[in-house]
Amino acid sequence: MTAPAGIIWLASFPRSGNTWFRILLANLAAGDSGPADINKLGNAIASDRDEFEAVTLLDSGLMSGDDIDRLRPRVYERIAAEATEQHWIKAHDAYTLTPEGEPMFGRYAARAAVYLVRDPRDVAISLAYHFGTTIDDAIEFINRPDGTLADWRTGLPVQLRQKLHGWSGHVTSWLDQTHVPVHTLRYEELVADPVAGFSAALRFAEKPATEAEIERAVRNADFTELQRQEGEMGFAEGYVLRTAPFFRSGRAGGWRDKLTAEQIARIEEINAPVMQRLGYELSLIPRSAAANDQRIAPVRAESVGSPDPSASAV
Amino acid sequence: MHEYLISGLAVASELDLPGAIPSCAHNKRPDVTIRRGTVPAILESADASGPNWEMAGEKFLLRVPRLARFLIAQGQEIVVELEADAKERDATGFVLGTSFGILLHQRGALVLHGAAVASDGRAIAICGMSGTGKSTLAAALCRKGCSFAADDICVIGLNGQGEPIVQSDGRQLKLWHEAITELNLRERRGEAVRDTFQKYYIQPFDRIAEPPKLSAIYVLRDSHQAMQAGIESLALADAMRILEYQYYRPRVRAKMATKSEMLLQGAAVFGHAKVFLLNRPRGFEHMEETVAALRKHWGALGR
Repeated sequence: MTAPAGIIWLASFPRSGNTWFRILLANLAAGDSGPADINKLGNAIASDRDEFEAVTLLDSGLMSGDDIDRLRPRVYERIAAEATEQHWIKAHDAYTLTPEGEPMFGRYAARAAVYLVRDPRDVAISLAYHFGTTIDDAIEFINRPDGTLADWRTGLPVQLRQKLHGWSGHVTSWLDQTHVPVHTLRYEELVADPVAGFSAALRFAEKPATEAEIERAVRNADFTELQRQEGEMGFAEGYVLRTAPFFRSGRAGGWRDKLTAEQIARIEEINAPVMQRLGYELSLIPRSAAANDQRIAPVRAESVGSPDPSASAV
Repeated sequence: MHEYLISGLAVASELDLPGAIPSCAHNKRPDVTIRRGTVPAILESADASGPNWEMAGEKFLLRVPRLARFLIAQGQEIVVELEADAKERDATGFVLGTSFGILLHQRGALVLHGAAVASDGRAIAICGMSGTGKSTLAAALCRKGCSFAADDICVIGLNGQGEPIVQSDGRQLKLWHEAITELNLRERRGEAVRDTFQKYYIQPFDRIAEPPKLSAIYVLRDSHQAMQAGIESLALADAMRILEYQYYRPRVRAKMATKSEMLLQGAAVFGHAKVFLLNRPRGFEHMEETVAALRKHWGALGR
């Protein structure tokens, strides 16, 4: 029995377990020849500039982000039409519409999506390490409704521009769209019970795997194994400016002792409704109570990172 | 009519092509004409197609949404029809880029997607994925005294002895603002490639006079902890496999050329030039060391 051919989007806001999930998939494929090499994961990503150019033949450096987005549905339809197996394609883009109102991911391109979501308070910490910025910058970034990746216009990022719409906007864009059946997987559940979380996602994508195969993949993608490999060989997809290993802690709930009350309040103020919808308990620190914890105002970070946030996995 | 010499071909163009260097020296019938005209919306009975292109026999139709349609025919002609409200100036980048690349494929040329520079009559081509910094490295080499041969579309021809040579693309190098700043090339900065884009034509460096022999092809990659910076030789089988992806728009090329044509072209290259992987750390702060390592390696290659 094989999985039905087509595209499965593996969608998430940056730093929400996407890479870990890809490593689980790689280990499932590796079978008893695992653990899979974290530096040979394959890098199918929806915002791949080279793939866009290979399919459309166009020089994307001569096109605006919106004009590129207008053609992206055609690229995904093409990939889907030519697919002879199941393709899991990573995506950090929010589920957006082109200026003409067409879904940028193509209305009929994908069979399904697995949407990974993580507590934004933990995302903030992880992002700060990843981009080598302050936590305040990272909070500013996840709160920005117009936040993007790879949107710098003074050079050519390896990836195409990705609109994120901020953490809340990202979550609702994927969960509320009605074109692609979506399975929501909370990072915290995947950490607590990887076998159950991974199995449910595979079932949704109709990708057959036995319990033993899944358990082996989970063992081989264990965080200590990833840290061991990164320690010995490095991780090619890591962003160059990061200030900590890519596989840093993998914990859920680290925000409790890493964020100040004021920082927590700033995240919750903007994201409370969606956090509650996803079952993330609010600490409900009123901003006024956190006022004595004021720190320097965050630098505006339009598209975090330079020289090239797009060159790396997030 | 504007006259240019692009990749060894005499071009007569109704459209002014910014970035192409005017060349009136040739008194021969043009090899290629470029003009405005009517272009169909779609090519019927296509042999191959993509989301914005079709190929039917010796005709190739390319569409850039909201900008223009390009009909490339018989390796001799490019016809451009602008969409409503589009500016001719914005379409010219796609004439010199994809359209000309397809035209070269129609002529059966061996076209690499990369830049090329020369020194002492010998050239190297620099290939790699989009955004890896091919043009930037070529510019850095030119600042250190190399001559500029080609950017983006690099045609490999054969000389009388059957040795591979690099044709000058007859165009200006294009660089993004960031590279211009970091390489200190502000004085050479010309027009923007397209309105509102921070990518610019660079005033010509020394250009090659005669097509130089190709001595090596370097495929550029970012190095990282897991992969030491340096230059790797490749066994022939790996070199052939990797080179397949360095051709200009390789999937279309595979549809336009026969297997034996591709094999012959590959053999001509591999008979005289080697393919190397150039793994280098990303970032302008490493540019000097990359340039030095590359020049040393290139210099040590036999003639």
